[in-house]
Amino acid sequence: MDLTHHISGPYCTKLLADFGAEVLKVERPAGDPTRRTAPFLNDDVDSEKSLVFAYLNTNKQSVTLNLKTEKGIQVLKSLIEHTDVVVENFAPRVMASLGLDFESLQKINPSLVLTSISNFGQTGPYRDYKAADIIEYAMGGLMYISGGYDREPLKHAFNQAQFKAGTDGAAATLMAMYHQRLTGEGQHVDISIQEAVATGLRDVVNNFTYTGAVRRRQPNHSGDLSRLRASSDGHLIPNPGIGTGLNWGVMVDFMDLPELGDDKFNSPSARLVNAEELGQILDSYYLKQNKYERFYAAHEKRFIFGVVQSPEEVMADPQFEARSFFVDIDHPALGTLKYPGAPFEMSGTPWDVRTPAPSLGQHNQEIIGQRLGHTPEDLAQMRANEII
Amino acid sequence: MPGPLAGIRIIEMGQLIAIPFSMKMLADMGAQVIRLESTGRLESYRSDSVYKNDISGEFWNKGANFYEQNRNKLGVTLDLSKPEGLAILRELVSVADIFSENFTPRVIKNFGLEYEDLKKIKPDIIMVSSTGYGFYGPWANYGATGPATEGAAGLAYQTGYAGSDSPMMSEIPYTDYTSGEHTVFAVMAALMHRLRTGEGQFVDISQTQATSATIPEILMDYSANKRSGPRMGNQDTVMSPHGCYQTQGEDRWITIAVATDEEWQSLCRVLKQDDWASDSRFADLLSRWQNRDELDELIGPVTSTWLSHDLMHALQNEGVAAGVVMDSKDLLFDPHLVERNFYEVVSHHESTGIPPLPYAGRPWKLSKTPAVDGMAAPLMGEHNTLILGDLLGKTAEEMAALEETGIIGYGPTTPRPVQRPPLEEQVRQGRMQRFETDFEEQVRRTFPA
Repeated sequence: MDLTHHISGPYCTKLLADFGAEVLKVERPAGDPTRRTAPFLNDDVDSEKSLVFAYLNTNKQSVTLNLKTEKGIQVLKSLIEHTDVVVENFAPRVMASLGLDFESLQKINPSLVLTSISNFGQTGPYRDYKAADIIEYAMGGLMYISGGYDREPLKHAFNQAQFKAGTDGAAATLMAMYHQRLTGEGQHVDISIQEAVATGLRDVVNNFTYTGAVRRRQPNHSGDLSRLRASSDGHLIPNPGIGTGLNWGVMVDFMDLPELGDDKFNSPSARLVNAEELGQILDSYYLKQNKYERFYAAHEKRFIFGVVQSPEEVMADPQFEARSFFVDIDHPALGTLKYPGAPFEMSGTPWDVRTPAPSLGQHNQEIIGQRLGHTPEDLAQMRANEII
Repeated sequence: MPGPLAGIRIIEMGQLIAIPFSMKMLADMGAQVIRLESTGRLESYRSDSVYKNDISGEFWNKGANFYEQNRNKLGVTLDLSKPEGLAILRELVSVADIFSENFTPRVIKNFGLEYEDLKKIKPDIIMVSSTGYGFYGPWANYGATGPATEGAAGLAYQTGYAGSDSPMMSEIPYTDYTSGEHTVFAVMAALMHRLRTGEGQFVDISQTQATSATIPEILMDYSANKRSGPRMGNQDTVMSPHGCYQTQGEDRWITIAVATDEEWQSLCRVLKQDDWASDSRFADLLSRWQNRDELDELIGPVTSTWLSHDLMHALQNEGVAAGVVMDSKDLLFDPHLVERNFYEVVSHHESTGIPPLPYAGRPWKLSKTPAVDGMAAPLMGEHNTLILGDLLGKTAEEMAALEETGIIGYGPTTPRPVQRPPLEEQVRQGRMQRFETDFEEQVRRTFPA
């Protein structure tokens, strides 16, 4: 039972749905706000044409329910009787205000797993604080160490904190379900988006607990060998073997830059002293290179270079092609489009799209009518009363 | 408390973050994780960022990142370049539920450790491989780093300051975590399937693919509309103000995101800017967004007179989303995280000289089956006897022979510590913001053992 909206909750239930769970998405009669979020196909502002909604809601069924009415709550509760898991991402006070706190739900279904995803978790002084992805980035500690040395901290594009929490939510839901399958016991799973960000840091809190140092955004030393460099056609990320040992002679041969064999550059301390000059040589060298040519040539030598790909290049990536990462999905309002597919592959229980994202209330008849046994008259009445 | 995964045994052949991080999460929840490592090829996190920057003695048991990524695991050393070492690994697989690794497929194939090989030893084994680009395909054997896959996935391209022609990369191996989070989910999905059917399977994690799955805003727009938007810095596609603004102090900042007119009015009230509140350029969502650059220019000078925490609380109390850009110390001592027991105090072996220290916990709390009590990452070879002796039944003589022939060991064969520059020098180079000499006392006060 998916009571979620926006991104974190829907990504959690998408992961579960795409690997086989039957997910019933319960939307307010106006629909998940993501239905009205850009980008749209051809910029056509139509609640069935949001591309992010279409991505996040594959394999789900949609029913609408007004949870601010007694009847809506009653219908929801009858559905919960036959549900393994409820996932929600309301502000923490909302479920209790609807009479849907964990204790009440457990009375209806003792083995129920309730997964709650929220900005700061279900407890603590910031519990009711508001957030957006940028706030979570900042309060999770990732933002302070991202961006230019002498500029304001910078967040990743779009909604990375929400996706982290959604993934964590799916993992933790299955941990609780594993216990449920073994013992029949349900429980409440509390996911904090702030903590989802704060869990994935390196050398941040540890710098302080181990040495008393406070890390900051790193200065852009032009002589850093693995620094992002502009190429003739974009950017690449050289890595001539920094962590695993660097053979400078092999590197100089690889770049065919004999001048770097000079004593000014052929030891780590010399490179540090002459970093600026080295940086200028490397900058002008890479600017003349084609990023893919260098990427492939580097991997022949087992240098672990990386390449920055544009969306167009990602979609034409031969590795993704070989792994059939992008999949065609046919959707009534969007037609057939390529979507990002399996986040990982499973040999025995593969990722699979059975149905595209549902239209708003597409399954009201099937679920509320047929499954719960409401007559067409009941449904018409509920619709007239703005319950569905 | 045993944790929901009590009884699950995982053999981990991991390095750095992607697999070690995800297996730590499972170890925290009760799985027994047996981590294999080589004495010949020292895991670099064992010798990096060591306690108090002191590389004397057994420095390989003092690395911050090793402790961070390997909590609650058992440690066994094994030289897999020798047939006897590989034979022991196969014995371990025969009594395991899960085998996980993050080497390149070339290495795994050379060792004869592919899923088909392991299935012969343990028919219901779940094998998890995490690689930069996936276990098969033309890039399969390409080694990768976090930045490389952040670039390949399409995330780096779109990240950067507005108007900049350069993408911006994360300063941590960001995609190791993104893929690691997906790995925890994948392992749980495989365990659920095994519980129902008794069948194991092969899980193939591509760090690039997992990351691309988290940017539909970019990839769906390109797929449908054949376009990619400009880099937007900290600005949003709808909200304004939406950004990172200077506050009082050296390199201090706050983030603010305003979604509604009501929140806008509250922001103006808290910042005491009546003229903004009535300015027609900022009257509604669309006009604020259209004039977002001007708005950002106005806000910075006003927020810079506030302390970031004071401003966050003042704005949040009026219903405006605002958050301090937390540095290492803010994060560690954050009263909210401390009250939620996000940090877990772990005791270290006395030989390390490291006092009990807090480490980041998990983003989830399970009401009935919480995490197990935190145990420090293993010393090198700490559990050789427990696992090879007690579990696999090697005799004392066999253990001695294994040590004699270098199949197992208790320290690196060629110790190469990484000496970081003194903190004063790191601050001078701009790599650290500052350091505080009384940090031990500060940590002890908030996180008593």
